[in-house]
Amino acid sequence: MSADLPTPPDFEALFEGAPCGLIVTTEDGTILRTNRIFCEWIGVEQAELQGRRFQTLLTMGGRIFHQTHWAPLMQMQGSVAEVKLDLLHRDGHTVTMLLNGVRRDHVKGAFYELALFGTTDRDRYERELLSARKHAEELLKEKTAAESALRQAKVDLSIAYEKSQRRALFAEQMVAIASHDLKNPLTAIRMATDMLVRGERTAKETKLLEHIGKSSDRAQRMIADLLDLALVRAGNGIGITRSAVELHKVVGQCLNELQLAFPDARLRHQASGEGGVELDADRIQQLVGNLVANSVAYGDPHQAITVVSTQEDGVATVVVQNWGTVIHEAAIASLFEPMTRHSDRDDDVRSVGLGLFIVREIAKAHGGDVTVRSDAIGGTTFTATFATAVNEG
Amino acid sequence: MALGNRNVAMSLRHRNNVKVEGNGPATLILSHGFGCDQTMWSYLYRHFTDRFRVVMYDLVGAGQSDLDAYDTGKYGSLAGYAQDLSEIIDEYAIGPVILVSHSVSSMISALADRLMPGRIAAHVMVGPSPCYIDSGDYVGGFKLEAIHSLLDTLDSNYLGWSSTMAPVIMGAPGQPALSEELTNSFCRTEPEIAKQFARVTFMSDNRADIAGLTTPTLILQSTEDLIAPVGVGEYLHNALPGSTLCIVPNVGHCPHMSAPSACSEAMDVFLAPWAGAHVS
Repeated sequence: MSADLPTPPDFEALFEGAPCGLIVTTEDGTILRTNRIFCEWIGVEQAELQGRRFQTLLTMGGRIFHQTHWAPLMQMQGSVAEVKLDLLHRDGHTVTMLLNGVRRDHVKGAFYELALFGTTDRDRYERELLSARKHAEELLKEKTAAESALRQAKVDLSIAYEKSQRRALFAEQMVAIASHDLKNPLTAIRMATDMLVRGERTAKETKLLEHIGKSSDRAQRMIADLLDLALVRAGNGIGITRSAVELHKVVGQCLNELQLAFPDARLRHQASGEGGVELDADRIQQLVGNLVANSVAYGDPHQAITVVSTQEDGVATVVVQNWGTVIHEAAIASLFEPMTRHSDRDDDVRSVGLGLFIVREIAKAHGGDVTVRSDAIGGTTFTATFATAVNEG
Repeated sequence: MALGNRNVAMSLRHRNNVKVEGNGPATLILSHGFGCDQTMWSYLYRHFTDRFRVVMYDLVGAGQSDLDAYDTGKYGSLAGYAQDLSEIIDEYAIGPVILVSHSVSSMISALADRLMPGRIAAHVMVGPSPCYIDSGDYVGGFKLEAIHSLLDTLDSNYLGWSSTMAPVIMGAPGQPALSEELTNSFCRTEPEIAKQFARVTFMSDNRADIAGLTTPTLILQSTEDLIAPVGVGEYLHNALPGSTLCIVPNVGHCPHMSAPSACSEAMDVFLAPWAGAHVS
């Protein structure tokens, strides 16, 4: 059989036409011989390469890489494998090749024998892999950064929360202590004033004592309001104790007392529906008192303030209506926030700006709410609702 | 010696793969350049071990150094490497210190000299360049595009740095002294580290750092060197008042490898004042 096979090419023909680029250089890279295939790949004549240095065929990056990395390696370990290099084609484009090289020592020095393989497509694929890997690494980095930012934010948040808790506690304690400590001297002033009133007094003295009494009452109201604010701010809300009461009676009694406090105001009470409810009577009185005081302060002094108490389908409602100046839409939004006033009036009825805030908190504590309407036709109307009983069980 | 010092020595040895050979009244510290490791001194260092204490090490990120010690911030400039070198000097040098540095390490050594004035007795700089990129009248030999082209080449040799450069297919003809185990570890590094070091090396401009450095310096300049052309060697010779310029007939950037005798002859003359008794 072997007799039938054609004669294989001789070594010379094999060298020239081998399916890879073959180059022999001296140690400094001077080209001694190249094969035809290599010359075809980079578009030059074999004769042109004689005496040129191999590294001059590389891109600048490849040359630096040659000088700093694979030339020392050739010398130290006698060979390199799979070095990827871009070679410059005569027409300017680059040809990516993979280089294997071996150093062959002889008496006068050494030859470098290099074999090069085209690897353009594989190179493209590798670059895609590389860029995918880089992309994945970047995503991972981003994710890690986001996670650590989130962790930091959580830490910051809990620190801020702790800080605000401490501050709230401090404020609460301050208000509680101040209010408590102020209560006693005020009670003493009130009592002493009451006792003095009972004796023989000149008209001027009576007038002054009346002032003292009113002022201490007002101070006591403010302290009570501040204590309520402290309770709400501490997150506990205003505490209520429900008991069976007659709504209309509670409101009526309250209005009688308010009439004494505001002798010039015209207070009217309308009641509708069954009055039996389960509410905190003291708190309802406080709510009515605040709403009426507000109406006295901001309403039209020549017109009546109407208070309507109703009970229907398990909901109790107290409506307080006055004929004051129409409240702006913008002001209504913040009307029930603490320390806000919709007027700059400064007189005897003024408080620390907690009245409406406490009204809302009392309604909320009863499972209800408070709303306000203000227009030229219907005047200003506050409507507080309460769930008349809680479903406990 | 205090226990603390021993710990420092241990950690330095681990970090920089420090090797100490030979004996003598003065210490030679050999620093390799970009792209390789301390094995590139293997053609030269034995020539000096009979008269000097010879210390060799790998820059962090190269060769057998501790890659975990590589910090992109610290090694984002040559100052980080200079800091390491000064620590090695403190720990390992006995007597006068002569820094023998190849390529980028020449500038690392100059920076270390600035860190510890008076501690360095002399420099031997092999193929040094204070600045690779041309700027104004200065000719470093490269345009910025060349550095980008290098980074691109490094990118495409992603595998080359860490594994396949080993001579797996052909053995190591003509180098019987080097065992297979050793050859496989030559000049290996993490590709990302190689890229950052390439950027730090070729983008740095240390002309201001070396200007007026008076420490005696031997510049070994190859006749033909792409990385550090003769003009750069001359520039350095002018900038360093205490320098000697020695032109070594050699093609390439590693005369200590391809022309070791010419290098050692020039160094023998230069180092004579510090050499110990010849014992061989």
